[in-house]
Amino acid sequence: MMIQKIPVDRVLREAVATPYRDLVTRATGAAVRIGIEREIIAADCLTTLLDFSAVGLVDFSCADEVVAKLLLGEALPAGRHVVLWGMNEDHSEAIDHVLRHRDLAILVLDGEPGGLRVLGRLADDPAAAFGEVRRAGPLNISALAAELAWSLERAARALETLVLLRLLRAEDSTYRPVPTA
Amino acid sequence: MTRIVEIPASLDDRSFEQFADSLSAGDPGAARPLFDARGVQWASPYGLVGLLTAGQAWQEARRERPLFTVPAHDDVARYWARAGFFQHAADLFELHGKVPKVKVDDHSDVLLGVTPVRASEDVHQVVGMIQERASRMLSDKLGLDAKATMGFAMALSEACQNIVEHAGTGGWVSVHAYSYRKRLGRRVVVIAVSDAGVGFRKSLEGEQARRYGDRWSDGAALEAAVIQGVSRFRDPGRGQGLAGIKRYLARWEGKLSIRSGTARIAIVPAWDEDVPLTEHLAYFPGAQLQVTIPASQVAE
Repeated sequence: MMIQKIPVDRVLREAVATPYRDLVTRATGAAVRIGIEREIIAADCLTTLLDFSAVGLVDFSCADEVVAKLLLGEALPAGRHVVLWGMNEDHSEAIDHVLRHRDLAILVLDGEPGGLRVLGRLADDPAAAFGEVRRAGPLNISALAAELAWSLERAARALETLVLLRLLRAEDSTYRPVPTA
Repeated sequence: MTRIVEIPASLDDRSFEQFADSLSAGDPGAARPLFDARGVQWASPYGLVGLLTAGQAWQEARRERPLFTVPAHDDVARYWARAGFFQHAADLFELHGKVPKVKVDDHSDVLLGVTPVRASEDVHQVVGMIQERASRMLSDKLGLDAKATMGFAMALSEACQNIVEHAGTGGWVSVHAYSYRKRLGRRVVVIAVSDAGVGFRKSLEGEQARRYGDRWSDGAALEAAVIQGVSRFRDPGRGQGLAGIKRYLARWEGKLSIRSGTARIAIVPAWDEDVPLTEHLAYFPGAQLQVTIPASQVAE
């Protein structure tokens, strides 16, 4: 299976054994993250979509525990991706804030497949490279360098940064958008 | 032996210092205090949770309940009862005077009656209870954009979590809306959170005291936490709760003040004339936080 979808509200209910729909407090965040990590390991999919559509409030502390620490943790092997889905403006703001604090970034899927954007901190070159892959589709280092009038080294650095941040997928010598469908 | 602790007629975050002075005057450990609230005519949520904190700190230290005289004005006593004060004060103080038998009311200007915060579940309860009421109050009465509600609940959550994460004991939260015409000329919504725990200085001491050397104090600890975002945890992701509150307040012209030990720090918006840092205050246990969100000028 390529894609796995995890309803975060369901993990929240299971983690705290109560009908809360708000992701608040570090303790709750840690419990939810552990639940998500278990499901990611068990399914072993290329992409995990975290579905926030039925989640109420997300506070900064909980966003840090759930999203930032998930990206930093060992439950997410290299080459695996996490994409946030069903986010509202308040969710995005809290998660963006904590990711920037840690120099991290994550993909968000809005609406149709392929409509990926980035939350968190992304330097100018990787941001430009991400925009180019999103616009033009899969490309290699020389194609990106030619398109943006960069040196090969600069293009390679930007694309590798995006792979390390799990924002692009590298296959052979081609860099592709993360599959979401 | 009994020692009278005077409570100002109007008890808010500013006049709280008179109360703290009275509490620490003389030999505060020598005699059982009598908190004299007979002449009180008004108390902000900060005042109410601060009073409970003083009672809690005394009880935890001495294993006896201090005395407390109920406000003589029936309206005041009824308001305090509706705000949930006496419900908790009865466990902490030996109450003297007539406590009105009225239901705790969370539907008027008391958005959240005095509520204990001891664990993560309490924060969930508080956040769950407040959202609908805060939404009505912030948009209808204060004229703030609907977007203000989520940020308000987030600020409330982070403020309460400071107790769970750092205090080492329980605390209290309350949220009221009231007219703040004296200083601002507008209505405000106020979140007040207070605990009788270790305070900012002791909480940060292990990580920060050596760095500051002789300059280490309650004021330095508050500056480190509130201005620099320092946390007692080595994890670089920590310390974001207060940063999140400041971010929210910057957007809605709000004010943050935190008192801990003998110092008080404030993030002061343009409409207020508070001082950023006050040191050498009378000692008061734990930490007391207040968030003030003003009505939009258009609404008023």
